[in-house]
Amino acid sequence: MPPSPALIGTSLLAWRNLSHDRARFIVTLIGVGFAVLLMGVELGLLVGFARTTSGLVDHSRAALWITPAGTTNVDIAGRLDERRRFQALAVPGVASVGKLMLQFGFWKKPDGGNESVALVGFEIESDALQPWNLVEGRIADLQQQDAVIIDRLYADKLGVKAIGDTIEINSQRARVVGFTRGLRTFTQSPYVWMTHRNALAYSRYQPEQTTYLLVGLEPGADVEVVRHALGERLGRVDVWKRADFARQAQKYWLITTGAGSALLLSALLGLVVGIVIVGQTLYATTVDRLPEYATLRAMGAPASYLNRVILKQAAISAAFGFSLGTLAAYVIVAISAYGNVAVIVPWWLLVVLAALTVLMCAFGALISIRRLVRIDPSSVFA
Amino acid sequence: MSEPLLRIEDVGVTYGKGATALSALRDISLDVRSGEVTLLLGPSGSGKTTLLQVMGCLLRPSQGRVSLHGQALHALDAEALSALRLAHVGFVFQHYNLFPTLRAWENVAVALDLKQFPPRQQQAAALQLLERLDMGNRANHFPAELSGGQKQRVAIARALAGKPGLILADEPTAALDGKSGQDVVATLQALAHRENCAVVIVSHDPRVEPYADRVLHLEDGRLVDDRRRHGNQA
Ligand SMILES: Nc1ncnc2c1ncn2[C@@H]1O[C@H](COP(=O)(O)OP(=O)(O)OP(=O)(O)O)[C@@H](O)[C@H]1O
Ligand SMILES: [Mg+2]
Repeated sequence: MPPSPALIGTSLLAWRNLSHDRARFIVTLIGVGFAVLLMGVELGLLVGFARTTSGLVDHSRAALWITPAGTTNVDIAGRLDERRRFQALAVPGVASVGKLMLQFGFWKKPDGGNESVALVGFEIESDALQPWNLVEGRIADLQQQDAVIIDRLYADKLGVKAIGDTIEINSQRARVVGFTRGLRTFTQSPYVWMTHRNALAYSRYQPEQTTYLLVGLEPGADVEVVRHALGERLGRVDVWKRADFARQAQKYWLITTGAGSALLLSALLGLVVGIVIVGQTLYATTVDRLPEYATLRAMGAPASYLNRVILKQAAISAAFGFSLGTLAAYVIVAISAYGNVAVIVPWWLLVVLAALTVLMCAFGALISIRRLVRIDPSSVFA
Repeated sequence: MSEPLLRIEDVGVTYGKGATALSALRDISLDVRSGEVTLLLGPSGSGKTTLLQVMGCLLRPSQGRVSLHGQALHALDAEALSALRLAHVGFVFQHYNLFPTLRAWENVAVALDLKQFPPRQQQAAALQLLERLDMGNRANHFPAELSGGQKQRVAIARALAGKPGLILADEPTAALDGKSGQDVVATLQALAHRENCAVVIVSHDPRVEPYADRVLHLEDGRLVDDRRRHGNQA
């Protein structure tokens, strides 16, 4: 007696139809895998870009961000006067207000070249925003007058090798005391972290000026109520919930640079390529096996039985192709961790990719199903 | 006499329309009963296959009435015809029409699956059918690994899945040598006589005639002779 079978009926037919023509099956899997990879990388780039554009906002502990009126993203903004801080502190529900400065500056490398950087001046004693993923040095070292922290990803670009290297920012001496890892900037002007006090010194801000005010709430305070009250009280500023400001920054960069639509378009292209490849190879298999489908029909198989065979072939192609494609995508994700552009594939994007793969294979199956509708069972006697 | 399994009354089949219309069957009336082997003879192009297709609910006739198990065919759509085939008809083809990517037992199991046999029982039932046709020891072979006669026996096992009342065979021996051809026909006869199936065989093969209970002659789409044979080979 043969071993107990794992496959029977339509699953068996589907699997054998595919595996019998190994070359074609491999082409299908590579096609689906490639389409999944393409979609995964494009959408992963989109996620990576989005997270990069809103990184400072997402990593802040502030419930609300007060920004100069008309601010559209976190990287480019005007100035706020420090008295706004005291006005804000007087609003009921507000527990703390931290200052954050963000200004472009010129970075002169040890060998003399210039780079544009973004100076990030934060209050070291407040937890509203601190550099994260610190891999070398200590944040406390920023207390020194000329101390800055940069990201490892941009060390080469900024001509820095190790802690202790000195450079100039806006023609004033500065010294690297630490490195973060993976804090990217969408503007390609790397973030240079320093205390708010030092940032004032490096820039042309007046001592009582800053860029943003980061608001922490009393326990139990209603965010929306406080946001409204701050708007009323301060006038001529914008007050954002953190998530709203993050989304605004993402929208701004992804739309103004065209990166968003370009990436979505390439992802769509991947989907179309996938549909064409699956449709094409499934159809070729179906046409090869028309006599067998006619036999099934003559034996009394309902149309739905034939469709199930095709759909299972599509499902098998989808499952294998998806595994192959996501595996390749994660290789790229891993590699991109060391590069200027992050490809990020969170679990929900995997779900989206899986859904797109199913969609792709279902569409690919349609052409075959349409062909089988017209099959004539009496052709078995031809 | 009992109600016939299959009743055909004044059936005509016309292929095509207008000037190219071709009348493949005209005014055919006959009954097919369970427990009998009916042999369908006639020159090439006389309409034998066409008649077999009408009998097997594969083709709706242009004229006349057909009923299988008392169910009239003319009112049924393609899916209903297919359900009727599934319930009552088993086909055996000249070229076996086995699924080449499936093992012998899997070929039979697909027919059982179509008839909604519980998945867990399909393999055992398929092996039983193959045993009956003396093919138990070839159950794991693929069709390409079997001789013509063995393939045809697998095909018969598949046709028998779910115990259909009507077995229709179009030239089942044409591709087989003398001995295997004879075995196949003897098997079909045993089905009719022992299991009370109605078996209809289309054949040019003179070796088939001794096994038939009844011989029909078709000529140019008409039934020209309908004879019962007595004392046929058992
Ligand atoms: N699908 C079809 N379309 C048009 N004409 C057909 C079709 N099938 C059969 N015919 C014609 O109908 C007539 C009867 O064909 P049929 O296949 O029933 O003959 P047959 O007796 O089985 O012949 P053979 O012994 O060669 O198999 C022939 O003239 C044939 O050309
Ligand atoms: Mg014929």
